[in-house]
Amino acid sequence: MKIKNGFVVREVGGESVVVPVGEMSKNFHGMINLNETGAFLWKFFSVEHTVDEGVAALRAEYEVEESIARADVERFVETIKSSGFAE
Amino acid sequence: MIYELAGLRVAIHNRCKYTEKFCEKYLSADQTSPVDLEVAVTNEEFYEEKKQSEGFSDGYIENICLYRAICRKLPVLNRMLLHAAVLEYDGKGYAFLGRSGTGKSTHTGLWLKYLSGAKIVNGDKPILEYKNGGFIAYGTPWMGKEGLGYNTGVSLGGLCFLEQAKENEILRLTPAEAASRIFQQILLPQDEENAALTLELTDKLVTETPCYLLKCDISEKAVEKSFEALTGKQYKMERE
Repeated sequence: MKIKNGFVVREVGGESVVVPVGEMSKNFHGMINLNETGAFLWKFFSVEHTVDEGVAALRAEYEVEESIARADVERFVETIKSSGFAE
Repeated sequence: MIYELAGLRVAIHNRCKYTEKFCEKYLSADQTSPVDLEVAVTNEEFYEEKKQSEGFSDGYIENICLYRAICRKLPVLNRMLLHAAVLEYDGKGYAFLGRSGTGKSTHTGLWLKYLSGAKIVNGDKPILEYKNGGFIAYGTPWMGKEGLGYNTGVSLGGLCFLEQAKENEILRLTPAEAASRIFQQILLPQDEENAALTLELTDKLVTETPCYLLKCDISEKAVEKSFEALTGKQYKMERE
């Protein structure tokens, strides 16, 4: 899975936000707030990776159990796909 | 014509006369030196806005589009639009923010009523510039229905979000709390560079400027609360 190009991610007041730019801003209006895990996964999936790779990366970063990391990654990927942000 | 706006030389290419009259107090005496920014409205933008602003004159519509075009290009020049009413008191600027109808003009009107030294810099759409580690709030011709404001720039001393309430109370906001409220009050350009810079400027704004939430009614007590928190002065001593 890879997140489409056309988003800018920045920290504002210590919280990560994503906004659409260019062509993307015509299809999607608004702004996405990410928690810490979300910000990590957004960055990770800005490059093509599999769910398994996402789980491994999340566990390496946060030392969480496999089942928890997998649930987080699957939910993230599902949200990205259902929002139409996956390539 | 070339105007001096928020410390910038801005060339505005308008077709309707409306904008020349509207911006006359900002006209530059120097119509020949290079400009920082140049704007015109495309037909596409004009007709898009016309659809949404039925009943308004073409001049008014072009004028709205021109300001939006200017503001979209500001971030690369270290500036951004903020939807707020900015008051000046004792040389400092204070921005009041809230969704339309929360009482920005009512609350700032109360400051004007009770504090003889208070003045409105821009009642609706000031431009902020980040300079030397702080923000400057500028008056612009675009200042809301009441047309309150004047051509000046003041150092921004604080932000105050407004919420209607029965009891008056003021709370200091964390940068994250201020960020979540401020997104409704900024303009996000569509090009990547200006969008990214807008977020970076907004981050500086909520982290480096004291931010408050004022829960208020329309009594003098509300002014006392916001005045003391924002200025650090004693209300009783300043009240005329």
